[in-house]
This record gives sequence, C-alpha cells and structure tokens, in this order.
Amino acid sequence: MKLEEILYQHFGYRSFRPGQKEVIEQLVEGRDVIALLPTGMGKSLCYQLPGYLFNGPVLIISPLLSLMQDQVTQMKQFGEKRVIALNSFLTLQQKQSALNYLDQYRFIFISPEMLLQKQVSERLMKMKLSLIVVDEAHCISQWGFDFRPDYLRIGELFHHENRPPILALSATATNKVLGDIKSYLKMDEPFEYIHSVDRKNIHLSRKYFQHHDDKIEWIVGHVLETEGPGIIYTQSRSKAENISIRLINEGIQAASYHAGKESVDRQFIQQQFIEGSIKWIVATNAFGMGVHKDNVRQIIHHTLPSNIANYMQEIGRAGRDGNDALAILLYEEGDENFAKILATDDLPTDGHIQIYENYRVRQENPFSMCQNGEISETAFRVLDYWMSQESSENVSKILNKMRFEKMDAVDEMMKIVHTEDCMRKVLVHYFGQTLTERPKNCCECCGIQFEDIIEPRKLDEITTANDSWKKRIESILIGN
Amino acid sequence: MIFQTLVLNLLHLFNEERTVSAAYHLLRGKRSGQTIQDVGIFRLHEYFGVLPKLNRNQFDEQINQLTEQQYISILPDNRYMMSEFGLTKLKQSNKVTFDGWHYRGNEHLFFARLSLIVQTLSYQRVGNMKFIPIQQNELIQQWVKHFLKGQQYQNGHLQSILLDEIISSLEKSNLEEREMSIMINRLSGVNQPGYTWQQLSMNENLSELDVQLLYIASLHSWLNHLTANEETYPLLNRIAESIRIDIPLTESANQTAQLFKKGYSIEEISMIRKLKTSTIEDHIVELAMNDRKFPYQSFLSDEDIQQVLQAMEDYQTKKLKVLHEVVPNLSYFQLRLVLARGDTMT
Repeated sequence: MKLEEILYQHFGYRSFRPGQKEVIEQLVEGRDVIALLPTGMGKSLCYQLPGYLFNGPVLIISPLLSLMQDQVTQMKQFGEKRVIALNSFLTLQQKQSALNYLDQYRFIFISPEMLLQKQVSERLMKMKLSLIVVDEAHCISQWGFDFRPDYLRIGELFHHENRPPILALSATATNKVLGDIKSYLKMDEPFEYIHSVDRKNIHLSRKYFQHHDDKIEWIVGHVLETEGPGIIYTQSRSKAENISIRLINEGIQAASYHAGKESVDRQFIQQQFIEGSIKWIVATNAFGMGVHKDNVRQIIHHTLPSNIANYMQEIGRAGRDGNDALAILLYEEGDENFAKILATDDLPTDGHIQIYENYRVRQENPFSMCQNGEISETAFRVLDYWMSQESSENVSKILNKMRFEKMDAVDEMMKIVHTEDCMRKVLVHYFGQTLTERPKNCCECCGIQFEDIIEPRKLDEITTANDSWKKRIESILIGN
Repeated sequence: MIFQTLVLNLLHLFNEERTVSAAYHLLRGKRSGQTIQDVGIFRLHEYFGVLPKLNRNQFDEQINQLTEQQYISILPDNRYMMSEFGLTKLKQSNKVTFDGWHYRGNEHLFFARLSLIVQTLSYQRVGNMKFIPIQQNELIQQWVKHFLKGQQYQNGHLQSILLDEIISSLEKSNLEEREMSIMINRLSGVNQPGYTWQQLSMNENLSELDVQLLYIASLHSWLNHLTANEETYPLLNRIAESIRIDIPLTESANQTAQLFKKGYSIEEISMIRKLKTSTIEDHIVELAMNDRKFPYQSFLSDEDIQQVLQAMEDYQTKKLKVLHEVVPNLSYFQLRLVLARGDTMT
C-alpha cells in the first residue's frame, strides 16, 4: 500500500507535511534517522504511521511525563486502543499486567527511568520491537538545555546486532548536540532530516527600555493599538497576573496562564483563546505545550528567555497558518542577570553534593533529599547520575561547568538583543545553519514595519450580553 | 465581603471562647477531636469543611482586615474580642447558607461528574467524541463512562432529560439568579468554554474567593433539594450518588461505634483498638453529636445534665474549664458529652 493511502486511512490527511515522508521512507528501509522538525510540524506522525506498517510494537522513549500522557490520551481519542504509557504513574499491579501483555500493544510509551528497570528492560529485550523512537533526543546531550542523564543509558541498552532502526526526534538541536545524539545512541550512519529552523513568516522585532514600568506601559499601548491573537511571555506567575489585570482593566480580552491556576480554569482559558473570545494570553513558559492554535499573530517577550532554543520554541507558536506574524523582544539593561539567575536556579550546588554525601555516609537513600524538600526532582536526577559516575570533587567541577554553560547560553541570547547585523542570522547560525534569504520586514536590524505585518486593533462587538443560565445550559446540551 | 462576613460570623458563634484559629480549622474541616467537638458545642455544622483548601495566609489576611476595620480586636494567645461595631456590622450583613457537614468537599466531586457528563453529551450531540475531557482525574472519567453507558447515552435522549432535570430542580432550589449563573457558567460544551474564576469574579464584582463561596453554598442548596426529592430527579440523583454524607463519622470513630454498639466499655474498646482512652472518648463524643438516639444515660444522669445546662445558663459560657470549676463532680468527658448534645438533651 502506498504511504499516502495509509496516511488517509489512519489519520485522515491527504498529504504529508514537509519531512514526514522522507523520514518514514528511510525507516521502512531499516535505516536509522535523526529528524529535526520544529514543534507543530507533525513529529509524532513520523512514528505513528510506521506503527501501522510494521509488525511488532513501536517503542517510544519520552522524558516528559505530562506530554506522554497527552499523547496517549490523544491517540486513544483517535481510536487507537493498543497504546500504553509505562511510567511511574502506574501502580505495581497495573505495571505487572502491562508487562505481561506488552507485546500485544502497537505503541509503547516509556520514560527513561522505567526503561532502566531490570524487569522492564529484560522484557523488552525478549520482544521483537519494530522501531525505537527517542523523543526530545536533545535531552541526551549535556550541551542541550534539558539534559536527562538517564538518556545516556539508552544507547547501552540497544546496541545488539539486529536491533530495529532508531528514530531520534527533536525540535531544537545545535550541531554539537546532533553529534552527541549520534554517538550516544550508537546510531549507524543515520539519515538526517534537518528542517530549517528559520520561519520566514515570523518577523523579529526588539525594543530597548530604561525602566521596568516602561515595558508594561509599552505593552499596554501596543496591545491597545494592534490586533492579536497574541501571547505575552513573562518569567513569573505574579508578573503574569499583574500584566493580565492591567490589560483587562484597559478593556482588553486577556487572561493569565501559569501552573498556579487550577486545571479546569487552564482549560477554559485555552478553549477561549482558541475560539477567539480571549485575544491575549499572559503566560509563563507553562503555556504552549499541547496548545494548537494556528492563527497566533504576535508573541511578545516581556522578559529575556534564558536561551535561544527557548526563544525559538516560544516565537514558533506564532504563524502556524503560514501567514505573517510578529515577535517582539523587550529588553531592559540588566535583564540578562535575572535570566542567568533563573537559568541556573535548578542546578545542584556544592551544598547539595555535601548533603548527598552525608546521606551516603549514613547509608541512607539519597533520594530522601527530594522527599525532604532539600532539592528539586530535576536537580536531583542530574546530581544522582553524576554522583554515581564521578567523585564529589569532579561532580562539583562538572556542575560548575554546566552553570557557566547555562550563563553562556544567556549571553548567546544577548547576541540577538545586541546584533546590529540581523537578528534572524544570529538565530539561524546558533543552530549551525545558514540563512539563505531574508524575507521582507526581516527584523529590527534589516528594517521592519509593524503595519505591514499585523493589523490595527479591531474594536469588535464585545459579547458580554451574557445569556441567562437557562439559555446557556440549553444551548450546551441541545443546541440552538 | 462574603468571606469577611463568614469569618466574622464564625468568630461571633465561637463566642470569644476559642482562638481565631478555631474558625480556620472549622472551615478546612479539620478532623481532630477538638474541631469536631466544637461543631457540636457551638452548633457549627453548616460551616464544617466549607473550604478544605483555604490557606493560612488568606485566612490571616482576613483576620487582619477585620482588626483594621475594628470589627474585632486581637488579644494575647491568638484570642479575640468582638466589638459593638463588629456585631452591628454582622447584623446588617447578608449571610450565605452552607451545609458543610453533609458534603465536606464532596459537592466538588458531584460538579466534576456533572461537568464531564454535560461536556460529553454536548459533543455527542454533534457527533464528535474526540475532545479533551474537562476533568483529567481518571477516577471521575471512569465513573462518568460507566454512568453514561448505563444510561444508554448513545440513543441521544439523555440530553433533554438531563436538561429538564437541571432546570426544574434549580428553579425549585431557592437560589438567586446570579448563583445559578455562576454554577452554569462553570460548565462547558461544544464552542462554549466555561468561565474562569477570575472572569466570574469580574462579572459579579466580587473577589474570586467570594464567588467560590457562593458557588459552594449554591451547590449545597441544590444537592439538598435533589436528595430530598429522589423520585423527581432520578438522573441527577444518580450523579449525586454517595455525595451526601448522612452518617458523618471519621473512619476511626466509626470503628469505635461498632464496638460500642456491641456493648463494650470505653476501657475495653481502648484495649481492643490499642488507642488511648481519651481518643475513644473523643469518638464517643462525636457519636453522641451525630446520633440523636445516642444512649448517653450510661454516662450521665438527668440531674448531671440539668446541673451543666444550668451552669451554662448562669455563667453564659461553653468553656470546659469554667464549667469544670462550677460542676467539679463531673469529668471533662461528661461535660463534653453534654456540650455535644447541647439543648437537645432536655
């Protein structure tokens, strides 16, 4: 059967998006593949479609538990019953039964931690897997912004003679990270599909400010003049709250979005944003994952992202429909210092190393550090890995190096703030690619006219003519 | 304003005989002997566990405001005094009615089920079963799935039956228009997202906490009307299954109750359960509070009771320490039993 037919039959699409077919064809040939596809470009189809071609389960290793859960829910909604997530959410009993019937599933999602459990890995070794997918593969590299030590062990696990092909997926990886992915996963001359990180329809602007308050005044003025929908990124919950209230008081349909909101409220906000009754979302970086809205026209960074990869991912949420969109980075002198504090906040310190040592001396499980609130879980994972590999002294050196690298990453981001040549060029170069052409209204350096990109604000009929409760429940349940 | 009135009213009902923290524990529904006992002594059933997630800062902030506005003054050891001004203020304020004792947070479970059922039916009506469920909790999802299958929702009649039950029951629940609006605005369906607490608070010109209190109170009234008329609203009563707690005992007190009913004494129960006698006494007090037919005669004579009630009257107090001084021949446990039953003993 042709790939297009399978695509239509199982996913309802008539044609592939760029990159998907190339990747799948190579996998069918049995070749390893590294695919660098921007978020929202249909990464997951690259392994979901082969699931219907191959005999034997597809194993998907994914580091983000919540994303994994989303994926599974989504696939189940689309009628795929033979899908399971093996992660720490399962009870012992659920896990046992899942392991017993593991070869019955078409898609097996698994967290790296779970993969390394002896019982689990032995079971997997006995099965005939058809494909191994490493999602968010940049996590394997300590140069990546999201290093997951457990990922290093994946390569050790799957290196036997007739292993199935490996597909490494990522949205953001520099050349250095790509090299790490290849070598740690022990990939065999992989086919590389590298989508250009440049998004021509996203135009890059930046503004300098003297005072913090000026930024907020500018945002209010800008939002009053121009049309959304848009997302304003800031670094803390309280800032998100304050800015959103400021906008609401100006009569703008806005809402804040962060991890502190209850889950039902977060869903209401997403739905209202997608449906259009909310025009602006003021968010911490909690907003984005799993939000599918094609026509976001503006992204404003109220605070400096801690690295270019994050910046890229956040502005990438604009203009998914291919139409023009505007990304504005606001900068005030000294912002980089805050960004550095934030970026290194989650790294283990020498103090943590000492506490870890103490637990070991007392012959207690160092994991208690997490339970006692002495360290965050992400920081503990990194610390625990290195402490099992190196002496305390070396770990301290390694962590220090990581700290400097994270700070360097902020400095890299500052190049976008400071460049007088071309913001787009800095962005693309960071990922080791070259910029072939500059679109009209490319960026602040090349010259940019907002009115060519975005619309003036439409004062739309504000539909606060709230229906009576009776009408509302009636229209929800039986329509009209 | 609603929260302020609520806290002020509680402080008033506690009769200045407890610390301000007692009101906090009551609102959160703390399951300690002291709080449960206070419910009986001061007749505070309706407020018990109304805000299980209330955080201490929010509460303390309210206490500070009450102090600043001179409705109350704070005394040493976290005690307080109501001012005349505070009492007048309280008389002039509208009080919202709760039924915390019978629901204890379960009203949220009822609404979670309802909101997922309504959302599912809304999508089912347009033939779309691929939506993100508004409730992420798997237990609720399973419950709803089971419920819908049992009701044969696929034939498409459930929507109008549920709509009729919702409208007619709400209309008879004695609720204000805005209260019904708030509840219905927390539901969602196809192309009809719900409203966030922030949005509702702006619509109603109330704080978020006040809107939530109105919502909780409305749910209590609605549920009370529903459960009192099971035959009229069969569907909603199925959704309200095991939401109302009619024998509201802590699990541990319940175990003690079983043994007590078999005729074991406090000492024997304490041996069997390996718990302190004082704990068992706490359970007995809880039991006495809930069971109108509790045989308190085995612990107290009618004269004893009269004596205590008289002392309460004479000294205008419900403080155990004072009562113990006036009626020294009775133990604290006996005093607490009388307090737990209060006026119902005569």
